[in-house]
Amino acid sequence: MPFRQINSKLVEARVAPGGRLFSQRGAMIAYTGDVRFTPNWQGGQGGLGSMLGRRVAGEATPLMTVDGQGTVLFGHGGHHVEVVELSGDTLCVEADRLLAFDGTLEQGTLFLGSDGGVMGLVRGQVTGQGLFTTTLKGSGAVAVMAHGGVIRLPVTPDRPVHVDPQAYVAHHGDVRNKLSTALGWREMVGRGSGEGFQLELSGNGAVYVQASEEKL
Amino acid sequence: MSTAPEVLDARTLPADDNVNAYAFCVDLNGRWFLQKGKMIAYYGRIDFTGVGHGHLDALVAGSFHSPLHAADWVVAEGTGKMLLADRAFDVNSYDLDDGNLTVRSGNLLAFEPSLSLKQSIIPGFLTLIGTGKFIAASNGAVHFVEPPVRVDPQALVGWADCPSPCHHYDHAYLQGVWGGIRALTGIGGASGEEHQFEFVGDGTVLIQSTEQLLAEQDTGAVPQQPGVPGGGTGGGSGRAPQLPGPFGGLNQLFGG
Repeated sequence: MPFRQINSKLVEARVAPGGRLFSQRGAMIAYTGDVRFTPNWQGGQGGLGSMLGRRVAGEATPLMTVDGQGTVLFGHGGHHVEVVELSGDTLCVEADRLLAFDGTLEQGTLFLGSDGGVMGLVRGQVTGQGLFTTTLKGSGAVAVMAHGGVIRLPVTPDRPVHVDPQAYVAHHGDVRNKLSTALGWREMVGRGSGEGFQLELSGNGAVYVQASEEKL
Repeated sequence: MSTAPEVLDARTLPADDNVNAYAFCVDLNGRWFLQKGKMIAYYGRIDFTGVGHGHLDALVAGSFHSPLHAADWVVAEGTGKMLLADRAFDVNSYDLDDGNLTVRSGNLLAFEPSLSLKQSIIPGFLTLIGTGKFIAASNGAVHFVEPPVRVDPQALVGWADCPSPCHHYDHAYLQGVWGGIRALTGIGGASGEEHQFEFVGDGTVLIQSTEQLLAEQDTGAVPQQPGVPGGGTGGGSGRAPQLPGPFGGLNQLFGG
């Protein structure tokens, strides 16, 4: 377990020789020991192909590689930080919400159109994810940033969860998401409730929502 | 769960303690130094006199040794309860017992005159020496670490009892073949973490939970808001004016 939560906005990460972390550039608060921070112009793992993929997808957030031996404190922009533990499943999260993550996790880009076709694209627009989102797969921990506190809502097959697309942070597990609309004549005449779009998550896993509707 | 806000008055306000994470109540009986604009309310009879004028020359000579910051400080004098807060930062009080502590000048809210304020060698920091209580703000909770440690300059709140820090520049990634290409072409960018303050020796380092420093706000000036006489229209400045206190977030909510 490389991350230890110090307070709601600060996590401590332990790096050891042979292991490495990725973190958002400029998110280091303090460190002890012999730790190197190398700007990672590929924006994460993989070769040139992965880099180009991320650039095209607009998921190329400035990252740095953290390696060496010691402990590092991470925090960024006064945002709340939530540590998500992954054990073999996949986390879907926007790249700019990633504060730091284990180097052992496999980083990928997901085209939202491949998950629900045109509705997937519409969903990406409404949630502010755009057309692509970042996936992290494997065993390890991820520190995710959110505006306001983070709530973890479990998703079970018999209990789908509806969340406000703007408050959506991330999800992991075998979860399908679908944009459900509740648009009626009220929305058409501009007297809507402001909750016309909801994200419906069903399957088996968990979704993280933030206590705010503000994007990072 | 909803609880009605607790109503406090002159008797029920805490004495020299936090009201909540963002406000501190000083039980004033005598004199305190405080930074301009950090007082949000008071009960009782309190006079506020700017440092450098008036009848406080002896006090200033005894415990205020920073002419550079004199314009930012006032002396509160009298009896009563005084509430201090700053930009919705977390506020905490610290007790010094014949010690010394250096703190970022913008983060220091107030201190007892039994302490003596001096300018630190590090620009932008103030050193308090002596015995007494002072109040400091931080963006997010304060975390204490012990040297040896290297700290992001913006995340540093202050340090106590340890030697002044030195600069540490880290260019390890500019070595090797890729480092050479990076250094020659500038491709790949910087990690943003090349420069730190390095602390060694015995003591305690205070850091805040984020490297973000909120912009200092003018006090005493007319706010640049539409509808405020003399304040102009406020348009065209780009940044919407921040509402004071807990309503500061409203601007963000409404896309300001």
